[in-house]
Amino acid sequence: MKADPRGVLTGTHFLDGDHACCEGALAAGARFAAGYPITPSTEVVERFAARVPTVGGCFIQMEDELAASIALQGGVWGGAKAFTVTSGPGFSLMMEHIGYAAMTETPCVFVDVQRGGPSTGLPTLPAQADMMQARWGSHGDYEVIALCPNSPQECFDLTIKAFNFAEEYRVPVMFMMDEVVGHMTEKVVIPPANEIEVVPRKHTKKSVEDYLPYGTNGDMVPEMAHAGEGYNFHVTGLTHDEKGYPNMTPSVQDKLVRRLQNKIRLAEDRICLFEEDRLDDAEVVVVSYGITSRVAQRAIDAARNRGLKVGKLRLITAWPFPEKKIKELAANVKAFVVPELNLGQMVREVARAADGKAKTYAVSHAGGGVHNPDEILNAIVEASRC
Amino acid sequence: MAKGRVSIVVERCKACGFCVEFCPTHVLALSSAFNSKGYHPPHVVHPEKCSGCDLCGMYCPDFAIYGTKVKEEKAAQAVGGRK
Repeated sequence: MKADPRGVLTGTHFLDGDHACCEGALAAGARFAAGYPITPSTEVVERFAARVPTVGGCFIQMEDELAASIALQGGVWGGAKAFTVTSGPGFSLMMEHIGYAAMTETPCVFVDVQRGGPSTGLPTLPAQADMMQARWGSHGDYEVIALCPNSPQECFDLTIKAFNFAEEYRVPVMFMMDEVVGHMTEKVVIPPANEIEVVPRKHTKKSVEDYLPYGTNGDMVPEMAHAGEGYNFHVTGLTHDEKGYPNMTPSVQDKLVRRLQNKIRLAEDRICLFEEDRLDDAEVVVVSYGITSRVAQRAIDAARNRGLKVGKLRLITAWPFPEKKIKELAANVKAFVVPELNLGQMVREVARAADGKAKTYAVSHAGGGVHNPDEILNAIVEASRC
Repeated sequence: MAKGRVSIVVERCKACGFCVEFCPTHVLALSSAFNSKGYHPPHVVHPEKCSGCDLCGMYCPDFAIYGTKVKEEKAAQAVGGRK
Protein backbone atom coordinates (compact mmCIF):
# COMPACT_ATOMS: atom_id res chain seq x y z
CA MET A 1 0.00 0.00 0.00
CA LYS A 2 1.17 3.55 -0.72
CA ALA A 3 1.25 6.37 1.81
CA ASP A 4 -1.74 8.67 2.28
CA PRO A 5 -0.64 11.85 0.41
CA ARG A 6 -2.23 14.08 3.08
CA GLY A 7 0.50 13.16 5.54
CA VAL A 8 3.43 13.43 3.14
CA LEU A 9 5.27 16.73 2.93
CA THR A 10 6.95 15.97 -0.40
CA GLY A 11 10.00 18.08 -1.18
CA THR A 12 13.53 18.89 -0.15
CA HIS A 13 13.76 20.23 3.38
CA PHE A 14 16.31 21.42 5.91
CA LEU A 15 15.16 19.60 9.05
CA ASP A 16 16.53 18.38 12.33
CA GLY A 17 16.24 14.71 13.21
CA ASP A 18 13.31 15.22 15.57
CA HIS A 19 11.26 17.04 12.95
CA ALA A 20 12.22 14.49 10.30
CA CYS A 21 11.05 11.72 12.65
CA CYS A 22 7.70 13.50 13.00
CA GLU A 23 7.35 13.77 9.21
CA GLY A 24 8.22 10.08 8.92
CA ALA A 25 5.46 9.22 11.38
CA LEU A 26 2.93 11.31 9.48
CA ALA A 27 4.00 9.76 6.17
CA ALA A 28 3.70 6.28 7.69
CA GLY A 29 0.10 7.07 8.61
CA ALA A 30 0.40 7.90 12.32
CA ARG A 31 -2.65 9.91 13.29
CA PHE A 32 -2.39 9.74 17.05
CA ALA A 33 0.39 10.41 19.51
CA ALA A 34 0.29 10.66 23.27
CA GLY A 35 3.28 12.07 25.03
CA TYR A 36 4.82 13.74 28.00
CA PRO A 37 7.40 15.86 26.19
CA ILE A 38 10.99 15.61 27.40
CA THR A 39 14.26 17.04 26.15
CA PRO A 40 15.74 16.14 23.67
CA SER A 41 12.66 14.56 22.08
CA THR A 42 10.20 17.45 22.51
CA GLU A 43 10.48 18.76 18.94
CA VAL A 44 9.02 15.55 17.54
CA VAL A 45 5.65 15.96 19.25
CA GLU A 46 5.79 19.75 19.12
CA ARG A 47 5.74 19.49 15.33
CA PHE A 48 3.28 16.58 15.40
CA ALA A 49 0.83 18.58 17.56
CA ALA A 50 0.89 21.39 15.01
CA ARG A 51 0.78 19.21 11.90
CA VAL A 52 -1.57 16.36 12.75
CA PRO A 53 -4.84 18.35 12.99
CA THR A 54 -4.31 19.34 9.33
CA VAL A 55 -4.37 15.67 8.29
CA GLY A 56 -7.14 14.47 10.59
CA GLY A 57 -5.59 13.23 13.79
CA CYS A 58 -4.69 14.40 17.26
CA PHE A 59 -1.99 14.65 19.87
CA ILE A 60 -2.70 14.46 23.58
CA GLN A 61 -0.27 15.68 26.17
CA MET A 62 -0.73 13.21 29.01
CA GLU A 63 -0.03 13.64 32.71
CA ASP A 64 3.03 11.40 32.64
CA GLU A 65 4.85 8.75 30.62
CA LEU A 66 2.83 5.89 32.05
CA ALA A 67 -0.35 7.49 30.79
CA ALA A 68 1.23 8.37 27.44
CA SER A 69 2.50 4.88 26.79
CA ILE A 70 -0.88 3.27 27.49
CA ALA A 71 -3.00 5.96 25.79
CA LEU A 72 -1.18 5.31 22.54
CA GLN A 73 -2.14 1.64 22.82
CA GLY A 74 -5.75 2.62 23.31
CA GLY A 75 -5.41 4.60 20.09
CA VAL A 76 -4.05 1.56 18.30
CA TRP A 77 -6.87 -0.73 19.47
CA GLY A 78 -9.26 2.00 18.35
CA GLY A 79 -7.80 1.69 14.85
CA ALA A 80 -5.12 4.40 14.62
CA LYS A 81 -1.43 4.09 13.98
CA ALA A 82 0.12 5.66 17.03
CA PHE A 83 3.41 6.43 18.71
CA THR A 84 4.96 8.18 21.67
CA VAL A 85 8.19 10.02 22.11
CA THR A 86 10.48 10.20 25.10
CA SER A 87 14.02 10.16 26.44
CA GLY A 88 15.78 8.01 29.04
CA PRO A 89 13.88 8.95 32.24
CA GLY A 90 10.53 8.66 30.46
CA PHE A 91 11.60 5.49 28.70
CA SER A 92 12.19 3.92 32.12
CA LEU A 93 8.63 4.79 33.14
CA MET A 94 7.23 3.35 29.90
CA MET A 95 8.76 -0.08 30.42
CA GLU A 96 5.68 -1.59 32.05
CA HIS A 97 3.56 -0.71 29.03
CA ILE A 98 6.18 -1.79 26.53
CA GLY A 99 5.78 -5.24 28.07
CA TYR A 100 2.01 -4.83 27.80
CA ALA A 101 2.34 -3.95 24.10
CA ALA A 102 4.51 -7.03 23.58
CA MET A 103 2.05 -9.28 25.42
CA THR A 104 -1.08 -7.90 23.77
CA GLU A 105 0.71 -7.64 20.40
CA THR A 106 -0.14 -4.00 19.95
CA PRO A 107 1.63 -2.52 16.92
CA CYS A 108 3.14 0.79 18.04
CA VAL A 109 6.31 2.84 17.99
CA PHE A 110 8.26 4.19 20.95
CA VAL A 111 10.75 6.88 19.99
CA ASP A 112 13.61 7.27 22.48
CA VAL A 113 15.90 10.21 21.80
CA GLN A 114 18.72 9.11 24.06
CA ARG A 115 20.44 11.48 26.47
CA GLY A 116 23.06 10.97 29.15
CA GLY A 117 21.98 8.99 32.21
CA PRO A 118 21.40 7.37 34.63
CA SER A 119 18.44 9.26 36.07
CA THR A 120 18.13 12.90 34.99
CA GLY A 121 21.72 12.79 33.78
CA LEU A 122 22.45 15.10 30.87
CA PRO A 123 19.12 16.38 29.52
CA THR A 124 20.59 18.23 26.55
CA LEU A 125 23.53 15.99 25.69
CA PRO A 126 23.81 12.68 23.84
CA ALA A 127 24.32 9.09 24.91
CA GLN A 128 23.52 5.64 23.58
CA ALA A 129 23.10 4.02 26.93
CA ASP A 130 19.47 2.84 26.60
CA MET A 131 20.29 0.12 24.08
CA MET A 132 20.01 -2.77 26.53
CA GLN A 133 17.00 -1.19 28.22
CA ALA A 134 15.26 -1.13 24.83
CA ARG A 135 15.74 -4.87 24.60
CA TRP A 136 15.40 -6.05 28.19
CA GLY A 137 13.74 -3.18 30.08
CA SER A 138 10.36 -4.78 30.71
CA HIS A 139 9.98 -7.99 32.67
CA GLY A 140 9.39 -11.41 31.20
CA ASP A 141 10.47 -12.91 27.90
CA TYR A 142 9.61 -10.89 24.84
CA GLU A 143 11.14 -9.60 21.64
CA VAL A 144 11.14 -6.14 20.16
CA ILE A 145 12.57 -4.48 17.08
CA ALA A 146 14.90 -1.49 17.58
CA LEU A 147 16.16 0.84 14.88
CA CYS A 148 19.08 3.28 15.07
CA PRO A 149 19.09 6.19 12.60
CA ASN A 150 22.31 8.16 12.06
CA SER A 151 21.01 11.20 10.19
CA PRO A 152 17.85 13.32 9.85
CA GLN A 153 17.21 11.65 6.49
CA GLU A 154 17.26 8.28 8.21
CA CYS A 155 15.05 9.63 10.99
CA PHE A 156 12.46 10.13 8.24
CA ASP A 157 13.07 6.91 6.31
CA LEU A 158 13.43 4.61 9.29
CA THR A 159 10.42 6.01 11.17
CA ILE A 160 8.32 4.78 8.25
CA LYS A 161 10.13 1.46 8.47
CA ALA A 162 9.47 1.34 12.23
CA PHE A 163 5.72 1.71 11.70
CA ASN A 164 5.84 -0.90 8.93
CA PHE A 165 7.67 -3.39 11.16
CA ALA A 166 5.21 -2.71 13.98
CA GLU A 167 2.25 -3.52 11.73
CA GLU A 168 3.86 -6.51 10.08
CA TYR A 169 4.97 -8.25 13.28
CA ARG A 170 2.61 -6.65 15.80
CA VAL A 171 5.36 -5.64 18.19
CA PRO A 172 6.35 -2.42 19.90
CA VAL A 173 9.20 -0.97 17.82
CA MET A 174 11.87 1.06 19.61
CA PHE A 175 13.19 3.97 17.60
CA MET A 176 16.56 4.63 19.21
CA MET A 177 17.72 8.10 18.25
CA ASP A 178 20.25 10.10 20.22
CA GLU A 179 20.44 13.77 21.09
CA VAL A 180 22.91 14.60 18.31
CA VAL A 181 20.91 12.91 15.57
CA GLY A 182 17.75 14.48 17.00
CA HIS A 183 19.10 18.00 17.02
CA MET A 184 21.35 18.08 13.97
CA THR A 185 19.88 19.83 10.94
CA GLU A 186 20.52 18.43 7.49
CA LYS A 187 18.95 18.03 4.09
CA VAL A 188 15.96 15.70 4.18
CA VAL A 189 14.32 14.60 0.95
CA ILE A 190 10.70 13.51 1.34
CA PRO A 191 9.57 11.58 -1.74
CA PRO A 192 6.08 11.72 -3.26
CA ALA A 193 3.45 9.65 -1.43
CA ASN A 194 3.23 7.12 -4.25
CA GLU A 195 6.87 6.19 -3.71
CA ILE A 196 6.45 5.49 0.02
CA GLU A 197 5.55 1.92 0.88
CA VAL A 198 3.30 1.65 3.93
CA VAL A 199 2.21 -1.62 5.56
CA PRO A 200 -1.50 -1.48 6.41
CA ARG A 201 -2.89 -3.01 9.57
CA LYS A 202 -3.38 -6.75 9.37
CA HIS A 203 -7.14 -6.51 9.77
CA THR A 204 -9.24 -9.64 9.94
CA LYS A 205 -11.63 -10.60 7.16
CA LYS A 206 -13.29 -13.23 9.32
CA SER A 207 -16.81 -12.94 10.69
CA VAL A 208 -17.46 -12.11 14.33
CA GLU A 209 -18.27 -15.79 14.98
CA ASP A 210 -15.08 -17.17 13.38
CA TYR A 211 -12.61 -14.57 14.58
CA LEU A 212 -10.01 -15.58 17.16
CA PRO A 213 -8.13 -12.47 18.38
CA TYR A 214 -4.95 -14.43 19.07
CA GLY A 215 -5.38 -17.26 16.61
CA THR A 216 -2.67 -17.63 13.98
CA ASN A 217 -2.38 -19.38 10.65
CA GLY A 218 1.23 -20.42 10.34
CA ASP A 219 2.87 -17.00 10.19
CA MET A 220 2.63 -16.46 13.96
CA VAL A 221 1.17 -12.93 13.72
CA PRO A 222 -2.57 -12.79 14.53
CA GLU A 223 -5.03 -10.55 12.72
CA MET A 224 -6.55 -7.52 14.41
CA ALA A 225 -10.05 -6.16 14.86
CA HIS A 226 -10.84 -2.79 16.35
CA ALA A 227 -13.03 -1.62 19.20
CA GLY A 228 -16.52 -0.77 17.99
CA GLU A 229 -16.62 -3.19 15.07
CA GLY A 230 -18.59 -5.84 16.93
CA TYR A 231 -15.66 -8.17 17.52
CA ASN A 232 -16.06 -8.28 21.28
CA PHE A 233 -13.03 -9.73 22.98
CA HIS A 234 -10.76 -9.16 25.89
CA VAL A 235 -7.31 -7.59 25.54
CA THR A 236 -5.27 -8.48 28.57
CA GLY A 237 -1.71 -8.56 29.81
CA LEU A 238 -2.54 -11.82 31.59
CA THR A 239 -1.46 -14.97 29.79
CA HIS A 240 -4.28 -15.60 27.36
CA ASP A 241 -5.47 -18.23 24.92
CA GLU A 242 -6.41 -17.73 21.27
CA LYS A 243 -9.74 -16.22 22.29
CA GLY A 244 -7.93 -13.60 24.37
CA TYR A 245 -9.40 -15.16 27.53
CA PRO A 246 -7.05 -15.33 30.53
CA ASN A 247 -5.71 -18.85 30.90
CA MET A 248 -2.91 -19.06 33.41
CA THR A 249 -1.57 -22.54 32.79
CA PRO A 250 2.00 -23.56 31.96
CA SER A 251 0.95 -24.99 28.58
CA VAL A 252 -0.79 -21.80 27.40
CA GLN A 253 2.09 -19.68 28.76
CA ASP A 254 4.60 -21.82 26.89
CA LYS A 255 2.72 -21.60 23.62
CA LEU A 256 2.10 -17.86 23.86
CA VAL A 257 5.52 -16.69 25.05
CA ARG A 258 7.39 -18.90 22.58
CA ARG A 259 5.28 -17.51 19.77
CA LEU A 260 5.99 -13.92 20.92
CA GLN A 261 9.71 -14.71 20.71
CA ASN A 262 9.69 -16.79 17.58
CA LYS A 263 7.67 -14.38 15.47
CA ILE A 264 10.72 -12.08 15.65
CA ARG A 265 13.56 -14.57 16.04
CA LEU A 266 12.57 -16.70 13.08
CA ALA A 267 12.13 -13.57 10.95
CA GLU A 268 15.57 -12.21 11.88
CA ASP A 269 16.88 -12.46 8.31
CA ARG A 270 13.99 -10.41 7.00
CA ILE A 271 14.19 -7.79 9.75
CA CYS A 272 17.94 -7.22 10.27
CA LEU A 273 19.26 -4.18 8.47
CA PHE A 274 22.89 -3.14 8.39
CA GLU A 275 25.25 -1.19 6.21
CA GLU A 276 28.60 -2.70 5.31
CA ASP A 277 31.65 -1.23 3.63
CA ARG A 278 35.08 -2.61 2.71
CA LEU A 279 34.53 -5.88 4.57
CA ASP A 280 35.96 -8.05 1.75
CA ASP A 281 39.59 -7.78 2.81
CA ALA A 282 39.02 -6.47 6.34
CA GLU A 283 41.03 -7.74 9.28
CA VAL A 284 39.35 -5.36 11.71
CA VAL A 285 35.67 -4.46 11.62
CA VAL A 286 34.27 -1.37 13.30
CA VAL A 287 30.74 -2.11 14.52
CA SER A 288 28.80 1.05 15.30
CA TYR A 289 25.34 2.58 15.19
CA GLY A 290 23.59 5.94 15.44
CA ILE A 291 25.71 9.08 15.62
CA THR A 292 28.80 7.07 16.59
CA SER A 293 28.82 5.47 13.14
CA ARG A 294 29.51 8.86 11.60
CA VAL A 295 32.41 9.55 13.94
CA ALA A 296 33.68 6.04 13.28
CA GLN A 297 33.60 6.70 9.53
CA ARG A 298 36.34 9.30 9.91
CA ALA A 299 38.47 6.89 11.93
CA ILE A 300 37.94 4.13 9.36
CA ASP A 301 38.94 6.42 6.49
CA ALA A 302 42.06 7.53 8.40
CA ALA A 303 42.99 3.91 9.13
CA ARG A 304 42.57 2.94 5.48
CA ASN A 305 44.83 5.86 4.51
CA ARG A 306 47.46 4.32 6.78
CA GLY A 307 47.04 1.03 4.96
CA LEU A 308 45.17 -0.79 7.72
CA LYS A 309 42.62 -3.32 6.53
CA VAL A 310 39.55 -2.08 8.29
CA GLY A 311 35.91 -2.37 7.35
CA LYS A 312 32.61 -1.00 8.57
CA LEU A 313 29.49 -2.69 9.83
CA ARG A 314 26.80 -0.23 10.83
CA LEU A 315 23.84 -1.60 12.72
CA ILE A 316 20.56 -0.14 11.51
CA THR A 317 18.54 -2.64 13.53
CA ALA A 318 20.15 -3.13 16.91
CA TRP A 319 17.41 -5.59 17.87
CA PRO A 320 17.07 -8.24 16.68
CA PHE A 321 20.86 -8.25 16.76
CA PRO A 322 22.45 -9.40 13.47
CA GLU A 323 24.08 -12.35 15.14
CA LYS A 324 24.56 -14.39 11.97
CA LYS A 325 26.43 -11.56 10.28
CA ILE A 326 28.82 -11.16 13.24
CA LYS A 327 29.39 -14.93 13.41
CA GLU A 328 30.15 -15.02 9.70
CA LEU A 329 32.62 -12.12 10.01
CA ALA A 330 34.21 -13.51 13.19
CA ALA A 331 35.44 -16.52 11.22
CA ASN A 332 37.38 -14.27 8.83
CA VAL A 333 38.55 -11.23 10.79
CA LYS A 334 40.99 -10.65 13.64
CA ALA A 335 38.96 -8.26 15.72
CA PHE A 336 35.90 -6.10 16.17
CA VAL A 337 36.10 -2.52 17.43
CA VAL A 338 32.88 -1.29 18.97
CA PRO A 339 32.64 2.43 19.76
CA GLU A 340 29.45 3.50 21.51
CA LEU A 341 28.28 6.28 23.80
CA ASN A 342 27.99 4.04 26.84
CA LEU A 343 30.32 2.01 28.98
CA GLY A 344 29.79 -1.19 27.01
CA GLN A 345 26.38 -2.46 25.89
CA MET A 346 26.16 -3.64 22.27
CA VAL A 347 29.82 -4.67 22.53
CA ARG A 348 28.66 -7.52 24.76
CA GLU A 349 26.38 -8.76 21.98
CA VAL A 350 29.25 -8.54 19.49
CA ALA A 351 31.52 -10.50 21.83
CA ARG A 352 28.81 -13.09 22.44
CA ALA A 353 28.20 -13.58 18.74
CA ALA A 354 31.94 -13.62 17.96
CA ASP A 355 32.22 -16.41 20.52
CA GLY A 356 36.00 -16.12 20.94
CA LYS A 357 36.74 -16.49 17.24
CA ALA A 358 37.71 -12.82 16.99
CA LYS A 359 38.76 -10.34 19.66
CA THR A 360 36.44 -7.53 20.70
CA TYR A 361 37.58 -4.03 21.62
CA ALA A 362 35.15 -1.62 23.27
CA VAL A 363 35.68 2.10 22.80
CA SER A 364 33.48 3.41 25.55
CA HIS A 365 32.34 6.95 26.23
CA ALA A 366 30.12 7.93 29.15
CA GLY A 367 28.07 10.34 27.01
CA GLY A 368 27.72 14.10 26.93
CA GLY A 369 29.49 14.38 23.58
CA VAL A 370 30.69 12.17 20.79
CA HIS A 371 33.99 10.30 20.52
CA ASN A 372 37.14 11.93 19.31
CA PRO A 373 37.78 9.96 16.08
CA ASP A 374 41.39 9.46 17.23
CA GLU A 375 40.19 7.27 20.13
CA ILE A 376 38.53 4.96 17.63
CA LEU A 377 41.56 5.11 15.33
CA ASN A 378 43.84 4.12 18.23
CA ALA A 379 41.62 1.14 18.97
CA ILE A 380 41.71 0.11 15.30
CA VAL A 381 45.52 0.34 15.32
CA GLU A 382 45.72 -1.72 18.52
CA ALA A 383 43.25 -4.29 17.16
CA SER A 384 45.11 -4.71 13.90
CA ARG A 385 48.30 -5.56 15.82
CA CYS A 386 46.62 -8.34 17.82
CA MET B 1 -27.06 -26.50 32.78
CA ALA B 2 -25.31 -23.44 34.16
CA LYS B 3 -21.68 -23.83 35.14
CA GLY B 4 -21.57 -20.46 36.79
CA ARG B 5 -23.54 -17.69 38.31
CA VAL B 6 -23.38 -13.93 38.32
CA SER B 7 -23.45 -11.75 41.40
CA ILE B 8 -24.32 -8.08 40.94
CA VAL B 9 -23.64 -5.28 43.42
CA VAL B 10 -26.38 -3.01 42.14
CA GLU B 11 -25.39 0.06 44.18
CA ARG B 12 -21.94 0.21 42.52
CA CYS B 13 -23.33 0.06 38.99
CA LYS B 14 -23.41 3.07 36.66
CA ALA B 15 -25.11 1.16 33.82
CA CYS B 16 -22.28 1.43 31.28
CA GLY B 17 -23.52 -1.83 29.75
CA PHE B 18 -20.08 -3.38 29.19
CA CYS B 19 -21.09 -6.62 30.89
CA VAL B 20 -24.25 -6.88 28.78
CA GLU B 21 -22.34 -6.18 25.56
CA PHE B 22 -19.34 -8.43 26.20
CA CYS B 23 -20.95 -11.48 27.84
CA PRO B 24 -20.09 -14.28 25.38
CA THR B 25 -23.26 -16.23 26.17
CA HIS B 26 -25.65 -13.23 26.49
CA VAL B 27 -26.67 -13.92 30.05
CA LEU B 28 -27.37 -10.29 30.99
CA ALA B 29 -29.59 -7.36 30.10
CA LEU B 30 -30.00 -3.91 31.65
CA SER B 31 -33.03 -3.98 33.90
CA SER B 32 -35.75 -1.40 34.24
CA ALA B 33 -35.10 -1.15 37.98
CA PHE B 34 -33.23 1.79 39.47
CA ASN B 35 -30.43 1.82 42.01
CA SER B 36 -30.23 4.67 44.51
CA LYS B 37 -28.15 6.77 42.07
CA GLY B 38 -30.80 6.38 39.41
CA TYR B 39 -28.98 3.93 37.15
CA HIS B 40 -30.41 0.76 35.63
CA PRO B 41 -28.17 -2.10 36.79
CA PRO B 42 -28.02 -5.32 34.77
CA HIS B 43 -30.01 -8.38 35.67
CA VAL B 44 -29.68 -12.02 34.71
CA VAL B 45 -32.03 -13.02 31.89
CA HIS B 46 -30.50 -16.37 30.92
CA PRO B 47 -28.99 -17.85 34.09
CA GLU B 48 -28.72 -21.30 32.49
CA LYS B 49 -26.22 -19.99 29.93
CA CYS B 50 -23.67 -18.63 32.43
CA SER B 51 -20.32 -20.38 32.15
CA GLY B 52 -18.80 -18.58 35.13
CA CYS B 53 -16.00 -17.16 32.96
CA ASP B 54 -16.02 -13.81 34.83
CA LEU B 55 -15.40 -11.73 31.69
CA CYS B 56 -18.12 -9.42 33.07
CA GLY B 57 -16.02 -9.02 36.20
CA MET B 58 -12.88 -8.28 34.18
CA TYR B 59 -14.62 -5.60 32.15
CA CYS B 60 -16.60 -3.92 34.90
CA PRO B 61 -14.97 -0.56 35.68
CA ASP B 62 -16.73 -0.40 39.04
CA PHE B 63 -16.30 -3.88 40.51
CA ALA B 64 -20.06 -4.21 40.45
CA ILE B 65 -20.36 -7.68 38.94
CA TYR B 66 -18.69 -11.02 39.50
CA GLY B 67 -18.93 -14.31 37.67
CA THR B 68 -18.14 -17.44 39.63
CA LYS B 69 -17.93 -21.11 38.75
CA VAL B 70 -20.36 -23.37 40.60
CA LYS B 71 -19.90 -26.98 41.48
CA GLU B 72 -22.04 -29.53 39.61
CA GLU B 73 -24.36 -30.37 42.49
CA LYS B 74 -25.01 -26.69 43.13
CA ALA B 75 -25.59 -25.92 39.46
CA ALA B 76 -29.22 -26.92 39.56
CA GLN B 77 -29.86 -24.54 42.41
CA ALA B 78 -28.07 -21.73 40.56
CA VAL B 79 -30.42 -22.13 37.63
CA GLY B 80 -33.29 -21.68 40.01
CA GLY B 81 -31.67 -18.42 41.11
CA ARG B 82 -31.90 -19.33 44.80
CA LYS B 83 -29.25 -17.89 47.07
